[in-house]
Amino acid sequence: MATPAVALHLEGVTLRYGPDDTAPALADISTRVCAGEVTWLFGALGAGCSSLLLVAAGLAPRHTGGDLAGSVTALDADPHSPAGRAALAGRIGYVTAAPAAQLSGVAATVWEEVAFAPANLGWPIERIRAAVPRALARLGVGALHHRDPATLSGGELQRVVIAAMLVLEPGVWLLDEPASALDHAGRLALYEVLREEARRGAAVVIASEDADTLLGLADRMLLLDAGTVAVDGHPRDILAGNAAWQHRAGSTATAALARLAARLLEPVPSGLRPPYPLDIESAIERWR
Amino acid sequence: MKGRPGIAGQAHPFTLFSVVAGVAALAFLLPAPTGPVLLYVTVVALAILTGAGASVARAALICLPLWVLLILLLAVGGDGARSAIGPVTVSRTGLEAALAQGARLGAVATASFVLFASFDPSRFLDAVAARGWSFHAAYLVVATLQAAPRFRQRAAAILEAQRARGLRFGGGPARRVRALLPLTAPLVLGMLSETDDRAMALETRGLDARASRTPLDPPMDRAADRVVRWSVAACVAAAALWRLHALGAF
Repeated sequence: MATPAVALHLEGVTLRYGPDDTAPALADISTRVCAGEVTWLFGALGAGCSSLLLVAAGLAPRHTGGDLAGSVTALDADPHSPAGRAALAGRIGYVTAAPAAQLSGVAATVWEEVAFAPANLGWPIERIRAAVPRALARLGVGALHHRDPATLSGGELQRVVIAAMLVLEPGVWLLDEPASALDHAGRLALYEVLREEARRGAAVVIASEDADTLLGLADRMLLLDAGTVAVDGHPRDILAGNAAWQHRAGSTATAALARLAARLLEPVPSGLRPPYPLDIESAIERWR
Repeated sequence: MKGRPGIAGQAHPFTLFSVVAGVAALAFLLPAPTGPVLLYVTVVALAILTGAGASVARAALICLPLWVLLILLLAVGGDGARSAIGPVTVSRTGLEAALAQGARLGAVATASFVLFASFDPSRFLDAVAARGWSFHAAYLVVATLQAAPRFRQRAAAILEAQRARGLRFGGGPARRVRALLPLTAPLVLGMLSETDDRAMALETRGLDARASRTPLDPPMDRAADRVVRWSVAACVAAAALWRLHALGAF
């Protein structure tokens, strides 16, 4: 079996937003993300998940200020060099948690919004006309193509913004809380699209505390704490143990269940030991 | 067909810009006060005929305080020979100057309001892309023009949010001034933060890409548009030559 290609490689990456004596946002992080893999960045607020995505996209520290040490390679190019950025144009799908700030601000319709990036990249108009409806349909927002983006609801806007990246079929996805405005069904639909993207060969990196949904999606979890990778492994293995909850990551039902299990264990050893139950069914089974 | 309703809305975006630039140039090149006054009358008539009467009214409302100020300062308070108009006497040269300045202001403001009411950002960007001009520069122009409505929307949202949290805007001037801080601080900080996020998003969406932008639905540049643009250019050139001649340049 062939080894999957490395799509993203960070080597000794340290990022500081302030002077040298301030705590780094990322501290000596080295990791590789392979094509076809869904990687989940998990951590408490300030752990460094968003910073890691910004560095991987080549956006920090250029847009955020600060100093960066170490090297980043995405799809065999350096996103921090002008030549690398030119080579990577349209090949990295970066999505932030604030969809309204990602709108072009000049599109009159959702169709134009999604066509903005392909047009900037000089795609032939026939290719754009074929790709835009496909991307909208995959996110379930095809019916909104004629709407003014400024009139969309939060959930609609979030899907349109992701469709605006999906249309490019990027080789690396970097998503920061991409489902924050979606309901449960919307989250499942989005994550299915991202799973399809991974099957297509894209590397998908998602920063999220949505443990309930990502537990079944991610192939790998990087648990970040204070800018370092505290644990690297399969999500189920990490979450069912103590590590994730000791780092205070996560706020969903999965997190609550595991914390409850850990707390029950604390006062009097009651026989509860990791692996902790991660869903209601296994909790009932365990504690009946 | 894309574009805003009305003749101005359906015109090629470059035609609208050239008309506004032409009006601004003519307002200062034509002999005062007759030239600017006739120009203002012409602009108002054309705007009404092309269905942009609302823009005429809006521009007049904006100009009204300045017109009053010009008349008070230059005509009523001016020096030189005076004439009686009703119960007041005004300086003749001051009145001419007030008329000239007021008409210039009115003409440029009316043309600009018609442009803003008829302006379709995506049509303009498509027109720029179709010409192969710098899309990045055009985007900056459009984003600047679009900033005002976004700022207004955000201000309204913050105002509602602060009211919901108990902030009161009534009362005396001091209380109103104090209430401004919880309004302006989140407004300015939010806009700055959004600017950073937008810059990053636009970069990932290829705004700085080296490729030539593909026009999605470029507006038609009809013969009538070209005639208007060339006519405006000819009028400005003729007015400039006349002005230079009057100054004794040749």
